Amino acid sequence: MTREDFRRELGDAMDSISGSPDPALPERVRAALVHSPEQRGPVWIGALAAAVIAVILVGVLLVGNPLNRGRSVPGGVGQVTPTPCCPSFPTPAPTPSPSASPFVCVSGPMTVTTGAPAPPLGLIDALRTGSHVGYDRITIEFKDVRTGTIKVTPQANTKFVMDGSGATVTLAGKYGLLIKITGADNHTAFSGSTDIKTLQFPEILEVRRVGDFEGVVQWGVGLSSIACYQATILTGPTRLVIDVRNN
Amino acid sequence: MIGVVLEQRPQMIVRAAEGDAHAFAALIEPLLNPAYRLAAVMLADRSAAEDAVQEASIKAWRKLGQLRGDAGSLRSWFLSIVANECRMFRRQRWFSVVKVAEVLPLPGTRDHFDDTSTDLKTALLKLSPDERLPLVLYFYLDLPLDEVARTLGLSPAAAKSRIYRTARKLRSDLTLEEVI
Repeated sequence: MTREDFRRELGDAMDSISGSPDPALPERVRAALVHSPEQRGPVWIGALAAAVIAVILVGVLLVGNPLNRGRSVPGGVGQVTPTPCCPSFPTPAPTPSPSASPFVCVSGPMTVTTGAPAPPLGLIDALRTGSHVGYDRITIEFKDVRTGTIKVTPQANTKFVMDGSGATVTLAGKYGLLIKITGADNHTAFSGSTDIKTLQFPEILEVRRVGDFEGVVQWGVGLSSIACYQATILTGPTRLVIDVRNN
Repeated sequence: MIGVVLEQRPQMIVRAAEGDAHAFAALIEPLLNPAYRLAAVMLADRSAAEDAVQEASIKAWRKLGQLRGDAGSLRSWFLSIVANECRMFRRQRWFSVVKVAEVLPLPGTRDHFDDTSTDLKTALLKLSPDERLPLVLYFYLDLPLDEVARTLGLSPAAAKSRIYRTARKLRSDLTLEEVI
C-alpha cells in the first residue's frame, strides 16, 4: 500500500463520518459572534460573576422550593427541577469514564428558567430537529439571552389544543410533549416552518407550533413512545435543547 | 474569497482584536470547514460538531489576544481551540450516553464507500478522539507536519511519532514510509 492509498482510504472513512457541514454554519457562527458579549476582562471578573450567580441560584432553590430537590440536569445555565426518572426506561449502563454520568431521564413536567431579566419577550428565531445515536433533538434558538420560563410536559397522547382557536390537533405518534414558553414570541424573529414532520426519526415524529399568543409560545411534539427526555439551556446563542431518548 | 481573506488577514486580526465581530467572522470563515471536519471525526456526531465549532469560534474570539506568531499561525491556533472544545463536549453528559456514537446514514441515501473504507471507519471509531486527532490533521486536513505539531502542542518529531503510532493501530502492517 502506498502513502497516497492509505491517505485516500482514511480520507474516505473520515468523510463518511463527518459528511459536509451545514451550509448555514458560517452564518450561524457569525450570528453567534455578533450576539456574543465580548469578554476581554480579567478571568477573575468572570469567575466572580459566575460564583455570585451560582450562590443566588442555590439560594433561590433552597428558599423557594425546599421540599422538591430533584436531581438537577447538568450542562446548562438554567435551573432545572425534573421529576424522577420514568421506571419504564432503564438508565443506560454506566460508562467506564469516571466523569461520565448516566442519562438523567425525566418523565414528568420540567421547568427551565434562566437568570436573565424577564420582560421584554424572548424572541424565538429558529427551531431545528435532528436525530442522533441515542437521542432525537429539538433545538429552539432565541435571538438573545431572554428565554422566558420554559415548561416541558409529557402527555400520553398527541392531541394538542391550539391556543387562540381552541381547535384540537393530533400530531403523528402515540405520545406527546408540550413545550410551553411563557414570556416569549415566536413570530417576530421566526421565519421557519411551524409544522415539522420528522417521520424518519425513531422518536420525534412531528413538532408543531400550537400556540403563539399574548407572550405564551407552545410547541407540541409527537413521539413514537413515552417521553424520556432531558431539557437544557445552552448559550451562544441561547437555545433550549430537548433531547428525547430514542433507543 | 478565501484568497482575499488570506491577503487581508493581518488587517482583519487587528480589526477583530479591536472588537469587530464581523472581521473575526470573516477571518475564521475559511477555517470553519476544516474545523467542522475535525470536530465531526473527533466527536463522531455531526450536530455536536457544529455546536463545538460554534462554541470554539466564540472562545477563539475572546482569546484572540493570546494568538502568538503571525497570521499564518491562525489555523493551527484555531484548530487547537476546536479540539479542546471537542474534549470538553465529550466530558459533558451526552457522551456518557452516546459514547460510541456512530453517524447513521440518512434514509434514502446510499453509502458509496466500499468495504475497506467501512472497516477503516470502524477501526477509526474504536480509537479515542484524542488518538483520531493527529490522523485528522495530517491525513484528512492535509496539514503539513509542523502545523500538525503546533496544533497538538508537540515537537514535529513527537507529532510524527504519534501519527505513525496511531496509524499502526488502524493497520498494523504499515511501515513508516507508507504513513509519512
